Amino acid sequence: MSQHHSHNEEQFYYEGDQSKLYSGIMNHHFNHDLSSPESKTQIGRIWKVFWILLFVTIVEVVVGMFFSHAMPKVLVITFFLVLTILKAAYIVSVFMHLGDERKNFRLMILMPLVLFIWFIIAFLYDGDFWLFMNTTAPMR
Amino acid sequence: MSHATATTATKQNLWGGGKSPFNVSYGKMMMWFFLLTDAFTFGAFLISYGTTRFFSAVWPDPNMVFHAFPFMGHAHLPLLFVSLMTFILIMSSVTMVLAVHAGHYGDRKGVIKWLLWTIIGGICFLSCQAWEWTHLHHIGAWWGSFTDVNTPVSEYAGFFNEKAIANPAFAEGAGLQATHDFYNYFFTITGFHGGHVASGVILLIMVLVNTINGTYDRRGHYEMVEKIGLYWHFVDLVWVFVFTCFYLL
Repeated sequence: MSQHHSHNEEQFYYEGDQSKLYSGIMNHHFNHDLSSPESKTQIGRIWKVFWILLFVTIVEVVVGMFFSHAMPKVLVITFFLVLTILKAAYIVSVFMHLGDERKNFRLMILMPLVLFIWFIIAFLYDGDFWLFMNTTAPMR
Repeated sequence: MSHATATTATKQNLWGGGKSPFNVSYGKMMMWFFLLTDAFTFGAFLISYGTTRFFSAVWPDPNMVFHAFPFMGHAHLPLLFVSLMTFILIMSSVTMVLAVHAGHYGDRKGVIKWLLWTIIGGICFLSCQAWEWTHLHHIGAWWGSFTDVNTPVSEYAGFFNEKAIANPAFAEGAGLQATHDFYNYFFTITGFHGGHVASGVILLIMVLVNTINGTYDRRGHYEMVEKIGLYWHFVDLVWVFVFTCFYLL
Protein backbone atom coordinates (compact mmCIF):
# COMPACT_ATOMS: atom_id res chain seq x y z
CA MET A 1 0.00 0.00 0.00
CA SER A 2 2.74 2.42 0.94
CA GLN A 3 4.31 1.88 -2.48
CA HIS A 4 1.32 3.58 -4.13
CA HIS A 5 1.54 6.57 -1.85
CA SER A 6 5.21 7.12 -2.38
CA HIS A 7 5.34 7.15 -6.15
CA ASN A 8 6.75 10.30 -7.63
CA GLU A 9 3.80 12.66 -7.75
CA GLU A 10 5.38 14.69 -10.47
CA GLN A 11 5.88 11.67 -12.69
CA PHE A 12 2.26 10.73 -12.17
CA TYR A 13 1.08 14.14 -13.23
CA TYR A 14 3.58 14.30 -16.07
CA GLU A 15 1.96 11.43 -17.84
CA GLY A 16 -1.66 11.95 -16.93
CA ASP A 17 -2.50 15.51 -16.21
CA GLN A 18 -0.01 18.07 -17.29
CA SER A 19 -1.66 21.33 -16.57
CA LYS A 20 -1.36 20.85 -12.84
CA LEU A 21 2.41 20.93 -13.28
CA TYR A 22 2.55 24.12 -15.19
CA SER A 23 0.62 26.63 -13.22
CA GLY A 24 3.26 29.23 -13.98
CA ILE A 25 1.55 32.44 -15.01
CA MET A 26 -1.78 30.73 -15.67
CA ASN A 27 -2.36 29.89 -12.02
CA HIS A 28 -5.54 28.07 -11.29
CA HIS A 29 -7.23 30.17 -8.69
CA PHE A 30 -9.73 27.65 -7.43
CA ASN A 31 -9.45 28.99 -3.91
CA HIS A 32 -9.84 32.58 -4.98
CA ASP A 33 -12.89 34.65 -5.60
CA LEU A 34 -14.04 35.64 -9.05
CA SER A 35 -14.64 39.11 -7.61
CA SER A 36 -11.07 39.46 -6.28
CA PRO A 37 -9.07 42.49 -7.45
CA GLU A 38 -6.79 40.48 -9.71
CA SER A 39 -9.76 38.85 -11.39
CA LYS A 40 -11.42 42.23 -11.87
CA THR A 41 -8.21 43.63 -13.35
CA GLN A 42 -8.03 40.81 -15.83
CA ILE A 43 -11.68 41.20 -16.82
CA GLY A 44 -11.11 44.93 -17.22
CA ARG A 45 -8.17 44.22 -19.48
CA ILE A 46 -10.29 41.92 -21.62
CA TRP A 47 -13.01 44.52 -22.16
CA LYS A 48 -10.43 47.22 -22.81
CA VAL A 49 -8.98 45.17 -25.65
CA PHE A 50 -12.50 44.59 -26.98
CA TRP A 51 -13.08 48.36 -27.25
CA ILE A 52 -9.71 48.84 -28.93
CA LEU A 53 -10.51 46.12 -31.49
CA LEU A 54 -13.95 47.60 -32.14
CA PHE A 55 -12.57 51.11 -32.58
CA VAL A 56 -9.81 49.98 -34.96
CA THR A 57 -12.32 47.96 -37.02
CA ILE A 58 -14.66 50.95 -37.31
CA VAL A 59 -11.78 53.15 -38.46
CA GLU A 60 -10.81 50.53 -41.03
CA VAL A 61 -14.34 50.22 -42.38
CA VAL A 62 -14.82 53.99 -42.62
CA VAL A 63 -11.52 54.39 -44.48
CA GLY A 64 -12.34 51.41 -46.67
CA MET A 65 -15.75 52.82 -47.56
CA PHE A 66 -14.89 56.46 -48.17
CA PHE A 67 -11.20 57.18 -48.49
CA SER A 68 -9.32 54.23 -49.92
CA HIS A 69 -10.15 55.19 -53.51
CA ALA A 70 -8.36 58.51 -53.21
CA MET A 71 -5.24 57.11 -51.55
CA PRO A 72 -2.18 55.73 -53.35
CA LYS A 73 -2.21 51.94 -53.40
CA VAL A 74 0.93 51.56 -51.27
CA LEU A 75 -0.54 53.75 -48.54
CA VAL A 76 -3.80 51.80 -48.52
CA ILE A 77 -2.00 48.49 -48.18
CA THR A 78 0.35 49.74 -45.48
CA PHE A 79 -2.48 51.35 -43.53
CA PHE A 80 -4.67 48.25 -43.51
CA LEU A 81 -1.88 45.75 -42.90
CA VAL A 82 -0.48 47.75 -39.98
CA LEU A 83 -3.93 47.99 -38.36
CA THR A 84 -4.63 44.31 -39.01
CA ILE A 85 -1.32 43.25 -37.45
CA LEU A 86 -2.11 45.54 -34.51
CA LYS A 87 -5.45 43.77 -34.01
CA ALA A 88 -3.77 40.39 -34.36
CA ALA A 89 -1.15 41.38 -31.77
CA TYR A 90 -3.84 42.30 -29.24
CA ILE A 91 -5.81 39.11 -29.83
CA VAL A 92 -2.73 36.87 -29.62
CA SER A 93 -1.13 38.50 -26.59
CA VAL A 94 -4.21 39.19 -24.43
CA PHE A 95 -7.00 36.86 -25.57
CA MET A 96 -4.76 33.90 -26.31
CA HIS A 97 -2.54 34.79 -23.35
CA LEU A 98 0.65 34.42 -25.37
CA GLY A 99 1.82 37.63 -23.72
CA ASP A 100 1.73 35.83 -20.38
CA GLU A 101 3.71 32.84 -21.52
CA ARG A 102 7.41 32.37 -21.15
CA LYS A 103 9.66 34.27 -23.55
CA ASN A 104 11.15 31.23 -25.27
CA PHE A 105 7.66 29.93 -26.04
CA ARG A 106 6.54 33.31 -27.37
CA LEU A 107 9.56 33.47 -29.67
CA MET A 108 8.95 29.95 -30.90
CA ILE A 109 5.47 30.93 -32.05
CA LEU A 110 6.25 34.43 -33.31
CA MET A 111 9.50 33.92 -35.23
CA PRO A 112 8.01 31.78 -38.04
CA LEU A 113 5.22 34.30 -38.42
CA VAL A 114 7.69 37.16 -38.74
CA LEU A 115 9.48 35.23 -41.47
CA PHE A 116 6.08 34.68 -43.04
CA ILE A 117 5.84 38.43 -43.60
CA TRP A 118 8.88 38.15 -45.89
CA PHE A 119 6.98 35.44 -47.76
CA ILE A 120 3.97 37.72 -48.18
CA ILE A 121 6.01 40.64 -49.46
CA ALA A 122 7.99 38.44 -51.86
CA PHE A 123 4.91 36.98 -53.52
CA LEU A 124 2.98 40.21 -53.75
CA TYR A 125 6.03 41.78 -55.36
CA ASP A 126 6.21 38.82 -57.71
CA GLY A 127 2.57 39.26 -58.69
CA ASP A 128 3.11 42.92 -59.33
CA PHE A 129 6.11 42.17 -61.50
CA TRP A 130 4.08 39.62 -63.48
CA LEU A 131 1.62 42.33 -64.39
CA PHE A 132 4.42 44.65 -65.46
CA MET A 133 6.01 41.84 -67.44
CA ASN A 134 2.79 40.83 -69.18
CA THR A 135 1.83 44.34 -70.16
CA THR A 136 5.16 45.81 -71.22
CA ALA A 137 7.48 43.09 -72.46
CA PRO A 138 7.52 42.57 -76.22
CA MET A 139 5.74 39.44 -77.45
CA ARG A 140 7.82 37.07 -79.54
CA MET B 1 12.44 19.76 -8.89
CA SER B 2 9.29 21.53 -7.71
CA HIS B 3 7.65 23.87 -10.19
CA ALA B 4 8.35 26.79 -7.92
CA THR B 5 11.90 26.84 -9.21
CA ALA B 6 10.88 26.65 -12.86
CA THR B 7 11.25 30.34 -13.52
CA THR B 8 14.75 30.53 -12.05
CA ALA B 9 16.10 27.41 -13.74
CA THR B 10 19.42 27.59 -15.50
CA LYS B 11 19.64 26.62 -19.15
CA GLN B 12 20.83 23.16 -18.25
CA ASN B 13 17.92 22.56 -15.91
CA LEU B 14 15.48 23.89 -18.47
CA TRP B 15 16.41 21.41 -21.16
CA GLY B 16 17.54 18.58 -18.94
CA GLY B 17 14.32 16.67 -19.39
CA GLY B 18 11.54 15.71 -17.01
CA LYS B 19 9.56 18.90 -17.49
CA SER B 20 8.51 21.33 -20.15
CA PRO B 21 11.18 23.90 -20.98
CA PHE B 22 8.39 26.24 -21.99
CA ASN B 23 6.40 25.79 -18.79
CA VAL B 24 3.29 24.76 -20.71
CA SER B 25 1.49 21.48 -20.86
CA TYR B 26 1.82 19.16 -23.83
CA GLY B 27 -1.79 19.68 -24.92
CA LYS B 28 -1.53 23.45 -24.96
CA MET B 29 1.77 23.44 -26.81
CA MET B 30 0.42 21.08 -29.44
CA MET B 31 -2.60 23.30 -29.96
CA TRP B 32 -0.27 26.25 -30.57
CA PHE B 33 1.74 24.13 -33.04
CA PHE B 34 -1.41 23.15 -34.88
CA LEU B 35 -2.53 26.78 -35.05
CA LEU B 36 0.86 27.74 -36.48
CA THR B 37 0.51 25.19 -39.27
CA ASP B 38 -3.07 26.24 -39.93
CA ALA B 39 -1.90 29.84 -40.11
CA PHE B 40 0.51 28.86 -42.86
CA THR B 41 -2.27 27.13 -44.79
CA PHE B 42 -4.56 30.14 -44.62
CA GLY B 43 -1.60 32.37 -45.32
CA ALA B 44 -0.78 30.40 -48.43
CA PHE B 45 -4.35 30.82 -49.68
CA LEU B 46 -4.34 34.55 -49.01
CA ILE B 47 -0.94 35.04 -50.61
CA SER B 48 -2.14 33.17 -53.66
CA TYR B 49 -5.13 35.52 -53.76
CA GLY B 50 -2.85 38.53 -53.44
CA THR B 51 -0.49 37.36 -56.16
CA THR B 52 -3.34 36.70 -58.58
CA ARG B 53 -4.87 40.04 -57.79
CA PHE B 54 -1.60 41.91 -58.26
CA PHE B 55 -1.03 40.43 -61.67
CA SER B 56 -4.56 41.19 -62.86
CA ALA B 57 -5.06 44.35 -64.86
CA VAL B 58 -8.43 44.96 -63.20
CA TRP B 59 -10.08 43.53 -60.10
CA PRO B 60 -13.60 43.70 -58.60
CA ASP B 61 -14.18 46.49 -56.11
CA PRO B 62 -15.34 45.13 -52.72
CA ASN B 63 -17.57 48.17 -52.21
CA MET B 64 -19.42 47.15 -55.36
CA VAL B 65 -19.54 43.41 -54.66
CA PHE B 66 -20.48 43.43 -50.97
CA HIS B 67 -23.20 46.00 -50.70
CA ALA B 68 -26.22 43.91 -49.80
CA PHE B 69 -27.82 43.60 -46.38
CA PRO B 70 -30.46 41.10 -45.30
CA PHE B 71 -34.04 42.38 -45.44
CA MET B 72 -32.90 45.67 -47.00
CA GLY B 73 -33.73 44.64 -50.56
CA HIS B 74 -31.58 46.41 -53.13
CA ALA B 75 -30.20 49.06 -50.80
CA HIS B 76 -26.57 49.89 -51.53
CA LEU B 77 -24.86 49.48 -48.15
CA PRO B 78 -21.21 48.73 -48.86
CA LEU B 79 -19.33 46.68 -46.31
CA LEU B 80 -22.01 47.00 -43.64
CA PHE B 81 -22.97 43.35 -43.52
CA VAL B 82 -19.40 42.11 -43.32
CA SER B 83 -18.70 44.65 -40.57
CA LEU B 84 -21.59 43.13 -38.64
CA MET B 85 -20.08 39.68 -39.15
CA THR B 86 -16.71 40.91 -37.91
CA PHE B 87 -18.35 42.44 -34.85
CA ILE B 88 -20.19 39.18 -34.08
CA LEU B 89 -16.96 37.19 -34.26
CA ILE B 90 -15.00 39.66 -32.13
CA MET B 91 -17.81 39.56 -29.55
CA SER B 92 -17.71 35.77 -29.50
CA SER B 93 -13.96 35.99 -28.94
CA VAL B 94 -14.53 38.21 -25.92
CA THR B 95 -17.11 35.82 -24.46
CA MET B 96 -14.61 33.00 -25.07
CA VAL B 97 -11.88 34.76 -23.04
CA LEU B 98 -14.40 35.36 -20.28
CA ALA B 99 -15.21 31.63 -20.30
CA VAL B 100 -11.50 30.81 -19.98
CA HIS B 101 -11.21 33.34 -17.18
CA ALA B 102 -14.15 31.75 -15.34
CA GLY B 103 -12.50 28.37 -15.80
CA HIS B 104 -9.33 29.58 -14.10
CA TYR B 105 -11.41 30.48 -11.06
CA GLY B 106 -13.32 27.20 -11.08
CA ASP B 107 -16.59 29.02 -11.74
CA ARG B 108 -18.51 26.26 -13.53
CA LYS B 109 -21.69 28.28 -14.01
CA GLY B 110 -19.69 31.16 -15.46
CA VAL B 111 -17.97 28.86 -17.90
CA ILE B 112 -21.32 27.47 -19.04
CA LYS B 113 -22.78 30.95 -19.48
CA TRP B 114 -19.89 32.34 -21.51
CA LEU B 115 -19.48 29.18 -23.59
CA LEU B 116 -23.16 29.39 -24.52
CA TRP B 117 -22.74 32.98 -25.69
CA THR B 118 -19.68 31.99 -27.72
CA ILE B 119 -21.58 29.16 -29.41
CA ILE B 120 -24.47 31.49 -30.19
CA GLY B 121 -22.01 33.98 -31.70
CA GLY B 122 -20.47 31.26 -33.84
CA ILE B 123 -23.85 30.10 -35.11
CA CYS B 124 -24.85 33.71 -35.90
CA PHE B 125 -21.66 34.18 -37.87
CA LEU B 126 -22.25 30.99 -39.84
CA SER B 127 -25.81 32.08 -40.60
CA CYS B 128 -24.57 35.43 -41.86
CA GLN B 129 -21.97 33.75 -44.04
CA ALA B 130 -24.64 31.39 -45.41
CA TRP B 131 -26.81 34.40 -46.28
CA GLU B 132 -23.89 36.12 -48.01
CA TRP B 133 -23.12 33.00 -50.04
CA THR B 134 -26.75 32.51 -51.03
CA HIS B 135 -27.08 36.13 -52.08
CA LEU B 136 -23.92 36.04 -54.21
CA HIS B 137 -24.95 32.73 -55.76
CA HIS B 138 -28.26 34.29 -56.77
CA ILE B 139 -26.46 36.96 -58.76
CA GLY B 140 -24.47 34.37 -60.64
CA ALA B 141 -21.33 33.98 -58.57
CA TRP B 142 -19.95 30.53 -57.72
CA TRP B 143 -16.87 28.37 -58.13
CA GLY B 144 -16.09 28.18 -61.84
CA SER B 145 -18.51 30.93 -62.79
CA PHE B 146 -17.94 33.61 -65.43
CA THR B 147 -15.98 31.46 -67.86
CA ASP B 148 -18.03 31.88 -71.05
CA VAL B 149 -16.28 34.47 -73.24
CA ASN B 150 -19.65 35.44 -74.72
CA THR B 151 -20.96 36.59 -71.35
CA PRO B 152 -22.35 40.11 -71.80
CA VAL B 153 -20.31 42.71 -69.92
CA SER B 154 -23.42 43.92 -68.11
CA GLU B 155 -23.52 40.70 -66.11
CA TYR B 156 -20.26 41.40 -64.32
CA ALA B 157 -19.63 45.10 -64.75
CA GLY B 158 -21.61 45.65 -61.55
CA PHE B 159 -18.74 44.20 -59.54
CA PHE B 160 -16.28 46.84 -60.68
CA ASN B 161 -15.83 50.54 -60.11
CA GLU B 162 -15.66 53.14 -62.89
CA LYS B 163 -11.88 53.27 -62.91
CA ALA B 164 -11.66 49.55 -63.66
CA ILE B 165 -14.35 49.66 -66.34
CA ALA B 166 -12.58 52.53 -68.06
CA ASN B 167 -9.43 50.43 -68.37
CA PRO B 168 -9.25 49.12 -71.97
CA ALA B 169 -8.18 45.68 -70.72
CA PHE B 170 -11.52 45.31 -68.94
CA ALA B 171 -13.66 44.60 -71.97
CA GLU B 172 -10.91 42.57 -73.64
CA GLY B 173 -11.38 39.67 -71.25
CA ALA B 174 -9.54 40.88 -68.17
CA GLY B 175 -12.87 41.80 -66.51
CA LEU B 176 -14.35 38.37 -67.05
CA GLN B 177 -11.15 36.62 -65.96
CA ALA B 178 -10.86 38.73 -62.82
CA THR B 179 -14.49 38.07 -61.87
CA HIS B 180 -13.94 34.34 -62.30
CA ASP B 181 -10.72 34.41 -60.22
CA PHE B 182 -12.23 36.62 -57.54
CA TYR B 183 -15.17 34.34 -56.85
CA ASN B 184 -13.08 31.18 -56.92
CA TYR B 185 -10.87 32.63 -54.22
CA PHE B 186 -13.74 34.14 -52.29
CA PHE B 187 -15.75 30.94 -51.93
CA THR B 188 -12.67 28.78 -51.30
CA ILE B 189 -11.16 30.96 -48.61
CA THR B 190 -14.36 31.96 -46.82
CA GLY B 191 -15.54 28.35 -47.16
CA PHE B 192 -12.36 27.00 -45.59
CA HIS B 193 -12.72 29.57 -42.81
CA GLY B 194 -16.40 28.76 -42.38
CA GLY B 195 -15.49 25.09 -42.04
CA HIS B 196 -13.16 26.05 -39.21
CA VAL B 197 -15.92 28.06 -37.53
CA ALA B 198 -18.33 25.14 -37.88
CA SER B 199 -15.89 22.61 -36.43
CA GLY B 200 -15.12 25.13 -33.70
CA VAL B 201 -18.80 25.36 -32.81
CA ILE B 202 -19.04 21.56 -32.64
CA LEU B 203 -15.97 21.37 -30.38
CA LEU B 204 -17.35 24.16 -28.20
CA ILE B 205 -20.60 22.21 -27.78
CA MET B 206 -18.61 19.14 -26.74
CA VAL B 207 -16.64 21.17 -24.19
CA LEU B 208 -19.91 22.71 -22.95
CA VAL B 209 -21.43 19.26 -22.42
CA ASN B 210 -18.32 18.18 -20.53
CA THR B 211 -18.49 21.28 -18.37
CA ILE B 212 -22.15 20.71 -17.55
CA ASN B 213 -21.38 17.10 -16.63
CA GLY B 214 -18.68 18.27 -14.23
CA THR B 215 -15.84 16.51 -16.09
CA TYR B 216 -13.45 19.42 -15.60
CA ASP B 217 -14.30 19.86 -11.94
CA ARG B 218 -13.43 16.20 -11.41
CA ARG B 219 -10.24 16.65 -13.44
CA GLY B 220 -9.28 19.62 -11.31
CA HIS B 221 -8.75 22.19 -14.04
CA TYR B 222 -10.41 23.79 -17.03
CA GLU B 223 -7.48 23.65 -19.40
CA MET B 224 -9.64 22.11 -22.12
CA VAL B 225 -11.65 25.33 -22.18
CA GLU B 226 -8.39 27.20 -22.63
CA LYS B 227 -7.33 25.00 -25.52
CA ILE B 228 -10.60 25.31 -27.39
CA GLY B 229 -10.36 29.02 -26.62
CA LEU B 230 -7.04 29.15 -28.46
CA TYR B 231 -8.66 27.51 -31.48
CA TRP B 232 -11.58 29.92 -31.38
CA HIS B 233 -9.35 32.97 -31.20
CA PHE B 234 -7.34 31.63 -34.10
CA VAL B 235 -10.56 31.40 -36.13
CA ASP B 236 -11.29 35.01 -35.22
CA LEU B 237 -7.76 36.04 -36.19
CA VAL B 238 -8.03 34.40 -39.58
CA TRP B 239 -11.28 36.25 -40.16
CA VAL B 240 -9.54 39.54 -39.32
CA PHE B 241 -7.03 38.84 -42.09
CA VAL B 242 -9.61 37.54 -44.57
CA PHE B 243 -11.78 40.57 -43.87
CA THR B 244 -8.83 42.87 -44.55
CA CYS B 245 -7.70 41.17 -47.75
CA PHE B 246 -11.07 40.65 -49.39
CA TYR B 247 -13.11 43.56 -48.17
CA LEU B 248 -10.72 46.39 -47.41
CA LEU B 249 -7.69 46.11 -49.65
